[in-house]
Amino acid sequence: MKRLTGLPLALIRAGRGRALPFLLLLAGLAILGAIEQTPLLRVREAQFDQYQRLMPRVRDSEPVIVVGIDSQSLVKHGQWPWSRDLVAQLVHKIHAGKPLALGIDIVFAERDRYSPELLNARIPGLPADVRAGLPDPDRLLAKALIGPNTALAVVGLSKALPGSTQPARPLPEFSHETPIDQSIPQYVGALASRPILEKAAAGEGLINASPSALQSNSEHGILRRVPTLAFINQLPFLSLPLEMVRLALGEGGQVIPESGFRGMTAIRIGDYRLPTQANGELLLHFGRASSNYYLSAADVLSGVHPPELFASRFVIIGFNSTGLQDRIVTPLGESLPGIDIHTQVIESLLSGQALQRPWWMPYAELATLLFVGLLLIMAIPVLRPRYAVLSFAGLALLIVAGGYAAFFAGRWLFDGSTQVLLLSPVFILLLGNTLVAADTRRREAELQLQNSREDAARVAGELDAARRIQMGLLPNPAIIFANETRFAIAALLEPARAVGGDYYDCFMLSEDRLCLAVGDVSGKGLPASLFMAISKTLTGTLTRRQANLGNAVRELERELNRENTEYLFVTTFIAILDVNSGSMDYVCAGHDAPIVLRNGELSRIDTSPTSGPPLCAADHYPYVADRVQLQPGDRLCLFTDGVTEAHNGAKMFGLEGLQAAFQSSGNIRIQAATNALRDAVRHFEAGQPPADDLTLMLVQWNGNSLNER
Amino acid sequence: MMNLPTREQAGVLIVSVSGRIDHTTSEAFAKALDPLLDRCTQGHPPILLDFSAVDYISSAGLRVLMMASRRSKAQNGSFAIAALQPMVQEVFAISRFNLIVPCYASVESASKVIGS
Repeated sequence: MKRLTGLPLALIRAGRGRALPFLLLLAGLAILGAIEQTPLLRVREAQFDQYQRLMPRVRDSEPVIVVGIDSQSLVKHGQWPWSRDLVAQLVHKIHAGKPLALGIDIVFAERDRYSPELLNARIPGLPADVRAGLPDPDRLLAKALIGPNTALAVVGLSKALPGSTQPARPLPEFSHETPIDQSIPQYVGALASRPILEKAAAGEGLINASPSALQSNSEHGILRRVPTLAFINQLPFLSLPLEMVRLALGEGGQVIPESGFRGMTAIRIGDYRLPTQANGELLLHFGRASSNYYLSAADVLSGVHPPELFASRFVIIGFNSTGLQDRIVTPLGESLPGIDIHTQVIESLLSGQALQRPWWMPYAELATLLFVGLLLIMAIPVLRPRYAVLSFAGLALLIVAGGYAAFFAGRWLFDGSTQVLLLSPVFILLLGNTLVAADTRRREAELQLQNSREDAARVAGELDAARRIQMGLLPNPAIIFANETRFAIAALLEPARAVGGDYYDCFMLSEDRLCLAVGDVSGKGLPASLFMAISKTLTGTLTRRQANLGNAVRELERELNRENTEYLFVTTFIAILDVNSGSMDYVCAGHDAPIVLRNGELSRIDTSPTSGPPLCAADHYPYVADRVQLQPGDRLCLFTDGVTEAHNGAKMFGLEGLQAAFQSSGNIRIQAATNALRDAVRHFEAGQPPADDLTLMLVQWNGNSLNER
Repeated sequence: MMNLPTREQAGVLIVSVSGRIDHTTSEAFAKALDPLLDRCTQGHPPILLDFSAVDYISSAGLRVLMMASRRSKAQNGSFAIAALQPMVQEVFAISRFNLIVPCYASVESASKVIGS
């Protein structure tokens, strides 16, 4: 398992988790650069269509009327193609209303079936007078077309087909400062109307979809782009709707293509202007479909509509019948007759509205992808997972929202969703690495915690052992003096930590001489405890060896000082009590003087005349012993500063506290009294951790003849 | 780090110590004192600790004073304490530290003695 996951994990973590995401980002840039060849194109186009669906072009005026040859017209006037005299009638009816321009989305390439020549050929032996009286429908239509503003349709052909001709009405004036690129569609031939009709019409406009766009645009049957300009045998032609506008503008309708070094950028007709792609294609901004401006050709022919209806409008004649029409699907998801595109193009030109995707837009998208990608690669590895997710979500939202904002602001087509799609794998890998790293850290931390717990347990175990040994050094007076009646001793020692620097001792030097000692090593904890052990042991040894207590203490200091590199010192009170006479020799080395309770009265042993500094504090201090006479029933309290300096956070227990507690415990048994003093201290501390080691030793001398009370 | 303001007065470097010097603060006290003791040598001004603002001193604090005293002696410098509060005075009396570090009742009286 570990080996299986090892390689991918190593890949993810390479370069501090940044190498693989960076490669993915480069791949994303390559894909975005060649998006036309990838399935991601559909995502992009779906995104662009979505913009239009949310914000379709507002159609607030109806400058165009479509006269549709619909089912009703076919029922009334018979099958298509109609005789051209009928079309001529239609044109006359419309011209009567003086429209701005009339466009006929029909190519009249062949002779009319009812032309006299064809009838002659078909019906031989037709009488000459009949033959002479036959109308020529083409001539009639040509006559009808004469007028300033009628445009015919032309279909550009990429191959010279039989019947293809050179249309006769290219743009009369066409100037462009910079040469227009080869990306403008070029046709070698065209399917145009008969010369007699061309001659009569004012202009001709292309009705092609651009050949290159044909495959990609018709892939899903959605029409997004329409050409504005094309060349047939090097002669320029506008698309039919633009030609109509040009004709309507008359003298002012000069056509000027704007171009940059990457091809066309816009087309200008008179004062109207539309941005285009480099190949002259227009990215049409569709408005919602409407049937308001569709009229039936049959109704127009029968004069249902007043001619004024056409006044100051553009009129297009085309097919709007289920059998004849070509239908297209718009990005808005609506199915419309192809002729509706002409309407939308005219409306767009008049309002100057088209979608904009200039040459630099793909570079802007690449730059955004690169920038955001690098930002992610920099930021995600140093962020916590939750912030990483939030950052990515925020950035993704920003990019997509930026696309919508650009569309809203200026009909700019900026593709945000593809970028988010391409950034996702980068982010997933980065986040994956963050999670892997976090998981590793967690495991390491757990391991460390476990180790430190084990260490702590081990130390605690060792300290516990040290504590047991230290406590074992202290005698238990209740056991060693179990049958003693001349005196009674009780003692306790509670270190502030596991081990401490206090000690006490009590033992018989001889049959009658009781040695008592209480000491306090400066500091506490382990260092103090080691010094305590030495001091306690040496005290025992040297008091046994030296007859004179003062000499014993001097020697004790010398011994302690021999190896005292830490400069620790010990305060101590050592006494030797003659248990028969009550005479007590003592040496005080910087220690608190013991308290005496005699007949309920408190006093202290006056150590001041002979007391010296703590052991090891000064070199070779000449300690001398003093003597005090006890009375039978006297109770002594030996203590360390852990008792008097016990703190409750506000003040210290103090000598007063100890004396009060000692006095009030004077009548209870000595062991219980000792515990009562300790309890008084702990009660006073009220939960505060003890600041120092606490030692208490109570000694009661009963006198030679008295029994313990 | 304990803050020890110093001032020189009549050829004596007076160091103002304040607060409690117990087990938790003694280490900081020792560290703060250390650079001053570096200069406590013969020819340099004697050091006088002004203890008027010291409320309490524990055995750990006493140990710092003991070591400071040992060091100044080894360097032939002069080191003393002045203006002990009653409670601190009591601790000094009990532990007999007045035998180890020279103690004076006030900064002025100390300056007169050690400054000359």
